[in-house]
Amino acid sequence: MHGLYLFQGENKVIKFENVSKTYPGGVQALKNVELEIEQGEFVAIIGLSGAGKSTLIRAINKMHGITEGTLTVNGLVVNDLKGKSLRKFRRNIGMVFQSFNLVSRTTVIKNVLASRVPDMPLWKSLLGLYSKTDKIKALESLDQVGILDKAYVRADKLSGGQMQRVAVARTLAQDPKIILADEPVASLDPVTARQVMGDFRRINKDFNMTIIINIHHVDLALDYADRVIGIKAGEIVYDGPASGVTRNTLNEIYGGSTEYEREIGEA
Amino acid sequence: MSFFKNLFAQKEITLSNGKVVKQPRSIVPIVLIILGFFVYISVEITGFDMQVLIRRQRFFFDILKAMFPPRWDFASDVWQPLFDTIKMSLLGSIIGAVAAVPFAVLASQNVNQNSILRNIIRVVFSILRTLPTLIIALIATYIFGIGTFAGTLAITIFTFAIITKMLFEQIETVEMGPFEAMESLGATKTQAFIAAIIPQLLPTYLAFCLYCFEINVRYAAILGYVGAGGIGLLLDEKLAWREYSRAGMVLFMLFVTVVIIESMSRYFRKRLT
Repeated sequence: MHGLYLFQGENKVIKFENVSKTYPGGVQALKNVELEIEQGEFVAIIGLSGAGKSTLIRAINKMHGITEGTLTVNGLVVNDLKGKSLRKFRRNIGMVFQSFNLVSRTTVIKNVLASRVPDMPLWKSLLGLYSKTDKIKALESLDQVGILDKAYVRADKLSGGQMQRVAVARTLAQDPKIILADEPVASLDPVTARQVMGDFRRINKDFNMTIIINIHHVDLALDYADRVIGIKAGEIVYDGPASGVTRNTLNEIYGGSTEYEREIGEA
Repeated sequence: MSFFKNLFAQKEITLSNGKVVKQPRSIVPIVLIILGFFVYISVEITGFDMQVLIRRQRFFFDILKAMFPPRWDFASDVWQPLFDTIKMSLLGSIIGAVAAVPFAVLASQNVNQNSILRNIIRVVFSILRTLPTLIIALIATYIFGIGTFAGTLAITIFTFAIITKMLFEQIETVEMGPFEAMESLGATKTQAFIAAIIPQLLPTYLAFCLYCFEINVRYAAILGYVGAGGIGLLLDEKLAWREYSRAGMVLFMLFVTVVIIESMSRYFRKRLT
């Protein structure tokens, strides 16, 4: 599978053309990014904190806007989207967060059902009147990440790994074509982190889902993703198969800092 | 002066390897001195006299003794004003608590980005909160006449003001993560609020309402003193006529009612949070 994307010209679902992002304070988070991602790819983005990983991933569903260049996702120019068209566009993109972003005071299934809220009338969501098809869809999503038995448990009773799986199930219930994951395993222990990464890989293979993941753990990125993108100070310094990442590549991405050496040493 | 010097001295801890860690100065001694000073001043100003309290305490017990035993047969006259009091506080609590919701949303910084509107609402509500319920009730009796309507209005305004404040502070401490998640999957701000914020707030909001109702029953009991209806009117009357055994019956029934309502409220509040 590795490197397959290099030979396929068509089916680019995400296309960055000379994209830059400058924050109001003058900080340049992205510099002339050129990037193409195909349907069904599993991409890991690595780099130091503040290198622009989060900005890159959040640009894709316009949680953060870009200031220059053209970004095309699913055939739509993201720059132009706003209001209703933006929300409709986001329905096809799932997002998973470092801090899970679940409503802890309610049940697991209600958290998953929240992804149906944009498609139903306000009064129904206010009263929690979800249709049977929605409930079945939510339960099936929970089953796909292996926590069907927790459906009616309150979210704050779960462990961190289980919470992140609920978040993944919420995204699956949305039927997305792309899943963006912003540091999804950063607050999990190493064993749980591997399980959640395994979930992502399975979803990637089973549904031909495009998955883009920001990750600090280089070893996890290399073990689970097909393609690795290295970012340094807002610029892409490596883009290639996970198998092609060498010590020199990491030196370039992490600027020769010693921090990653330990991490690699463990891997 | 060495006493003060020691009091405010900066403590240093020396580690075995010779490194010195400076402990920040504690402000507790200063706070205690200021507190003592204010207690002294307030005793001077109010003319508080411990001796008077000791000398005349028996009169307090005289009245209490006169209330026992209460006139049990007087209960039939107490029911009506007692129910009026409960009705006043229940109705006032419900109207006030419901009316508070939109204003609390508008007063919270993380939801309402319009700082001018936000601050106007906050200022109005802090003014509203400084008005004691008794004064509001008094003004209401001038406008709407003597009776339970004035009392209900006073309780509504009190509940409205206090719940708005408690609720907007709660909204501001809410986790915005789930809200972000809802926006990321294509929800409007309203939809995100319903799905991500309301479930976080609802138990606390209901607990606030119950707590407010608890307070209101006690408040409503004294509103009768300014003619705003309810049991206070009866109590005032019986005390003024020195019918202490009847006043005792009024107090006894009020006490039982408050205890029942408070324990019910506490039970439900525990289940909510």
